[in-house]
Amino acid sequence: MRVVIAEDHALLREGLVALLNGVGIEVVATADTGPGLLDIVTEHAPDLAIIDVRLPPDFSDEGIRAAIAARAVHPELATLILSQYVEPVYTAELLDSPGGGIGYLLKERVSDVTEFVDALRRVASGGTALDREVVTELVRSRSATGGQLDALTPRERETLALMAEGRTNAGIAKVMVVTLGAVEKHISNIFTKLDLPDTDDDHRRVLAVLTYLRTTT
Amino acid sequence: MSNEAAPGDPGHRTATSPLAFALALAALVALATTGIWAATGSGYFWPGWVMLGCAAVVAPLAWWSHLSGRPNTPRTRVWWHLDITATLTVALLLIWVLSGAQGPWVFWPIFSLVLLLGLHALVDLRAEVPQLRARQLQERVDTLSRTRRQAVDAQAAELRRIERDLHDGAQARLVALAMQLGRAEVSLAHEPEAAALVRAAREEATVAIQELRDLARGIAPPVLADRGLVAAAASLADRGHATLTVTNTNGGRRLPPAVENAAYFLLAEALTNAAKHAPGAAVRAELALEPDRLVVDVVDDGQGGADPNGSGLQGLRARVEALDGRLTLTSPAGGPTHLHAELPCE
Repeated sequence: MRVVIAEDHALLREGLVALLNGVGIEVVATADTGPGLLDIVTEHAPDLAIIDVRLPPDFSDEGIRAAIAARAVHPELATLILSQYVEPVYTAELLDSPGGGIGYLLKERVSDVTEFVDALRRVASGGTALDREVVTELVRSRSATGGQLDALTPRERETLALMAEGRTNAGIAKVMVVTLGAVEKHISNIFTKLDLPDTDDDHRRVLAVLTYLRTTT
Repeated sequence: MSNEAAPGDPGHRTATSPLAFALALAALVALATTGIWAATGSGYFWPGWVMLGCAAVVAPLAWWSHLSGRPNTPRTRVWWHLDITATLTVALLLIWVLSGAQGPWVFWPIFSLVLLLGLHALVDLRAEVPQLRARQLQERVDTLSRTRRQAVDAQAAELRRIERDLHDGAQARLVALAMQLGRAEVSLAHEPEAAALVRAAREEATVAIQELRDLARGIAPPVLADRGLVAAAASLADRGHATLTVTNTNGGRRLPPAVENAAYFLLAEALTNAAKHAPGAAVRAELALEPDRLVVDVVDDGQGGADPNGSGLQGLRARVEALDGRLTLTSPAGGPTHLHAELPCE
């Protein structure tokens, strides 16, 4: 897997490069500004871009805008956003931008190397990795204001949250410490209750869930 | 009533030029007569009378240039009176000296003139004292409002700077630390006990990062600092199932940080309350960005009966009032609940 990194903080950038090299992932180039990202993506055609949200020159949401710009030019580009905070607006914007796999993780998730690399591979292969904080935020605000999510049992809601993070059924079973069959049952109940089409594709599954989360009232 | 002419006004300066002319002429006449007097044998100093005549012409000109154009206030009237009194006193003294300083008669007219002036000042200026106090109070209020606004703005800007410093400093270093610990944990896979210690340290660092993040979010959510109030409000409304109307985007111009923060937390609190106390009710949020103020309205179709003295609302009121704004809540039993706030932003 060939990766580029856009991160202005030297300590984090070098830490990421070392971490990825340690697990056999090749970092072909790094940038420390939003516009710099587009240049290295164009030059190296990587499989995946890891992007910090706050980048020079504005130190606001440069990373998101750079990601969307890069995906507009290179639609196949898989994109993983790293941020020190969760902002559902930014996630929604990314999900709306067409292209390859998408991830939005809090920066400290990087410290759990196994999970992080797992998420990287999922995004690089066209899947999704959303931080559980993003999902929790969305699910909580939806259920706080009523709506169809009220129909779900707590276990089903937990399953939905894990699904939205981008996990496979086996991954969900492991986290919830239940059998694969129990997870499949939860999921089929969720699809029934939320009136969502069932599909084997992880990414489309998450998109369907998030579309529901974003648009339902 | 005309405006008070400040010293150095153009009107004031043109008024002095006839005075300067008259002064120069008078000086010339005084010099010439003194010369003639000296040349003709220096007897009785008769040029003094000529000078007195000149002074009688110059003095009214001097009053005029001093006071013309001033509004007819008690203070101006007293000034006129003072000028006239001073001129007459000088004239009397001159006459007294020129006529050989015979006896103390000159004391009485001067005494009467000064007494009259004193009475006039007492009567006329006393009426001005409350006005003066009112003006001083007004100036004080203006100063206090301005400095408080500056303090509130400075505080908001400072908090955002702290948030940014946390993000770029402590948070980033903790993330780097957690990352290093994560790598150490991987490389210690063959020594489970050491790996468990490192894992515990990594999890501790993660908790610290989480706490710092909560702290930073309490200052101002990133989307507010990054994109401004309209975007942050849209995010809030989206998450709270409210419909948001923005009646004027003000050309995308950013509001002062203190106003943005106050309006954001106002909306957040109102939407949270609506979700808590009026679940399922339709909620409308409106932002009107007028040239000199921001108007925020949040209306829900719930059952009403909200407590206007609840602690959340008190906190919001304090925030709004620190900006010289107004906050009102109407929530009759049966609804609707309407929170209305106006935040001035020059």
